[in-house]
Amino acid sequence: MSTAGRISQVMKGVPMKPVMSANPVEARRRVLTLYKQWYRATPKIIEKFQLPYTVEKVHNRIREEFMKNSHVRDVRAIDLLVIKGQMDLQETIKMWKQPCHIKSYFHQETAVEVPTDFLGKFFTQKH
Amino acid sequence: MLRIATQKCCDQLPSRFLPFLSTKSGAAVATRRHQSTDDKVEVFVNDKPVYVKPGSTVLQACEIAGIQIPRFCYHDRLSVAGNCRMCLVEIEKSPKPQASCAMPVMKGMRIKPDSDVSKKAREGVMEFLLANHPLDCPICDQGGECDLQDQSMMFGSDRSRFLEHKRAVEDKNIGPLIKTIMTRCIQCTRCVRFADEVAGVSDLGTTGRGNDMQIGTYVEKMFKSEMSGNVIDICPVGALTSKPYAFTARPWETRKTETVDVMDAVGSNIVVSTRAGDVLRIIPRLHEDINEEWISDKTRFAYDGLKRQRLTQPMLRNKQGQLVTCLWEDALPFVAEKLSTTEGSKVAGIVGGFADAESLICLKDLLNHVDSEGLCTEELFITDGAGTDLRSNYLLNTTIAGVEEADLVLLIGTNPRFEAPLFNARLRKSWIHNELEVALVGSKVDLTYSYEHLGDSTTTLKQIADGTHPFSKRLKDAKNPMVVVGSEVFSREDAFGVHAAVSAIAQNATVTSQTNRGDGGADWKVLNILHKVASQVAALDLGYKPGVDHIRKNPPSLLFILGADGGAVTREDLPKDCCVVYIGSHGDVSAPFADVILPGAAYTEKPGTYVNTEGRAQQTQAAVSPPGSAREDWKIIRALSEISGMTLPYDDLEGVRSRMSEVSPNLTRYDAVESANYFKQAAELAKLAKPQLVSKPLQSSQLSLADFYMTDSISRASKTMAKCVKAANEGLTPDL
Repeated sequence: MSTAGRISQVMKGVPMKPVMSANPVEARRRVLTLYKQWYRATPKIIEKFQLPYTVEKVHNRIREEFMKNSHVRDVRAIDLLVIKGQMDLQETIKMWKQPCHIKSYFHQETAVEVPTDFLGKFFTQKH
Repeated sequence: MLRIATQKCCDQLPSRFLPFLSTKSGAAVATRRHQSTDDKVEVFVNDKPVYVKPGSTVLQACEIAGIQIPRFCYHDRLSVAGNCRMCLVEIEKSPKPQASCAMPVMKGMRIKPDSDVSKKAREGVMEFLLANHPLDCPICDQGGECDLQDQSMMFGSDRSRFLEHKRAVEDKNIGPLIKTIMTRCIQCTRCVRFADEVAGVSDLGTTGRGNDMQIGTYVEKMFKSEMSGNVIDICPVGALTSKPYAFTARPWETRKTETVDVMDAVGSNIVVSTRAGDVLRIIPRLHEDINEEWISDKTRFAYDGLKRQRLTQPMLRNKQGQLVTCLWEDALPFVAEKLSTTEGSKVAGIVGGFADAESLICLKDLLNHVDSEGLCTEELFITDGAGTDLRSNYLLNTTIAGVEEADLVLLIGTNPRFEAPLFNARLRKSWIHNELEVALVGSKVDLTYSYEHLGDSTTTLKQIADGTHPFSKRLKDAKNPMVVVGSEVFSREDAFGVHAAVSAIAQNATVTSQTNRGDGGADWKVLNILHKVASQVAALDLGYKPGVDHIRKNPPSLLFILGADGGAVTREDLPKDCCVVYIGSHGDVSAPFADVILPGAAYTEKPGTYVNTEGRAQQTQAAVSPPGSAREDWKIIRALSEISGMTLPYDDLEGVRSRMSEVSPNLTRYDAVESANYFKQAAELAKLAKPQLVSKPLQSSQLSLADFYMTDSISRASKTMAKCVKAANEGLTPDL
């Protein structure tokens, strides 16, 4: 029997210990709360980091980051992502992050694109 | 640490477990048990029963029981000396501890390698060894890989009682490769035995007795052997170390890459030690079927040639006729333009001895795409008769390990000692242990063993083939004969004649040997071709034409030279307007007349496939990156194909290798000897083409040791190899 199979047998009938939320509805509420916190903090973030972006653009970027995990259905996984998001928000608001960390979420004109085709790699890389 | 439980010998298990295996037929079990213990002797190691072959030593019995006895003088592949006394063990009923490496086992012997007596004996021996061994480990090159260091930690005393003066011995100068610090020597005589038995050069010996005993050459002279570097590995202390590697690195600082050597066609397995993108040294890696644990001096010491005289930037010839460095973005489109505007029949390629199978297949696919068939190897072979169509025609069919089963070897037009030192070492091993008889048609050279010289004329060859020569009788009586022809004969104008005569001899011997052995059609192959360069077998497998005749007959307008530095084609052979593109790592002969130079990678810098002379595919690994803007050779050709609009249908190593296996599946069956057959048909095809022999004597170009060291672009760039040639020619000069 595979390892995964054995684990599921052991786990069968034993309730998983929740991280924070007991059910998906609760988890969803936590996500929305976090999302709203980010939204409300946006003008402050722009001001503090002197970002050259509009509130709307930053909002869109935040939404994108949330939507990246939209496929996650496991309540425990969602909770962990929420905790990470809260930590991230705190680091941002308290200016523990540097401007470069925030800017790295947005497209940078100076970034060098790494070639992916054979010829591009041949001209630029040894391996 | 010492007990290696997993190393239990398998053949002891049946006899021990058979009584419990079967309950059905007790009689059958009893007979089998009787048989299996009959040829084995029961001994007890730490009261544990072990079954060993009669005549084996106590040390081997302990090894089978999973206990490693400490030793200095004992070495698996050398004769037993028994003079270091480190392997003393207590044996019950014996008054004193015995040297286990020299003591044969006796029935019911009780060996106690872990008893107090054994431990005390080791401690005592260690104390005596260290009495005269200098305490210079911090400046000793052996530090970190020193047997004495390790064993004194394991078995030595934890405090010193030594108050006297230490003995000092004068250092010997034995050549530009081996540094000697003779004060460190513990007189294990491994080097003396190696020189005598494996290298076959009795240059080293001992003088004096007791405390005054010294190892050396007696008078100052060079240790003249093509395998001399191996004494560095077998020396258990730092008495013999590598001169070029002196004070370079500690073993724990280096990164080790297991790879394969390409300095000859044997394909010795090696370990390349690197640090910070620098090849620091090359040491052998065990492969029982190829090099055992030895390598030749060219393999070991030519690595400094990888750092000198390298092509690092692409170059283009300008209007003034000078080669100037440029970018890949300039060089490749230039070649691509030439390639797409030149007629296919006017495009050709020559490949040299260091080309890996990956670049060979890329170049072949590219040139075939433009309808060119002008793909040649620089190394020559025959094209008449079966030519390269039958693989058995160009392989060392008996295999290198097969030499140990042979009873008669006929060498033709070759000097295996310098063309393939490890193959010669096998011949010598067989000559010593199996009473192998050797005969040679060709230049009379020193092969380190005695052989019958049958002259160097082609008439002898004809006579042996006809059965009129006295030697034919012996060949007829042989059970496992081998006929080995050196690749150098293929540069003669009657190459085909020689090959045909050789295959006729081999075919006759195959038939007679089958009757002599009485086993009908058993798989013993007689015909052997001993190649000199690493790329040849792979190139022929892929369908390259041997020799540059095709290029001479059809002068090309665009010629690709893939690392061919043997000087087979010069500028004078080519039309004035011919554009020459050189792809390679060194380019010491051919690059100067090229119009475009594309820098490639050497064998330590790329993962590549090489097929050795037996037909065994092996791969090299990248130990360091190519210097400057150099790239892996196959990638250069692949990039060129894309720029010229004829993109090859693969762009990674797996892709190239799957293409290789489409053409010749053996190329990717790594470490397997893909054997070949159809000897009879090849010999018959050869007869049909009417082979001719000319009277020119069969000669070898490598006659003395000085001819051995510098034979290709890497060894020609090596300073160490140059020093060796000088020392071999002019004798030793005080260096440093």
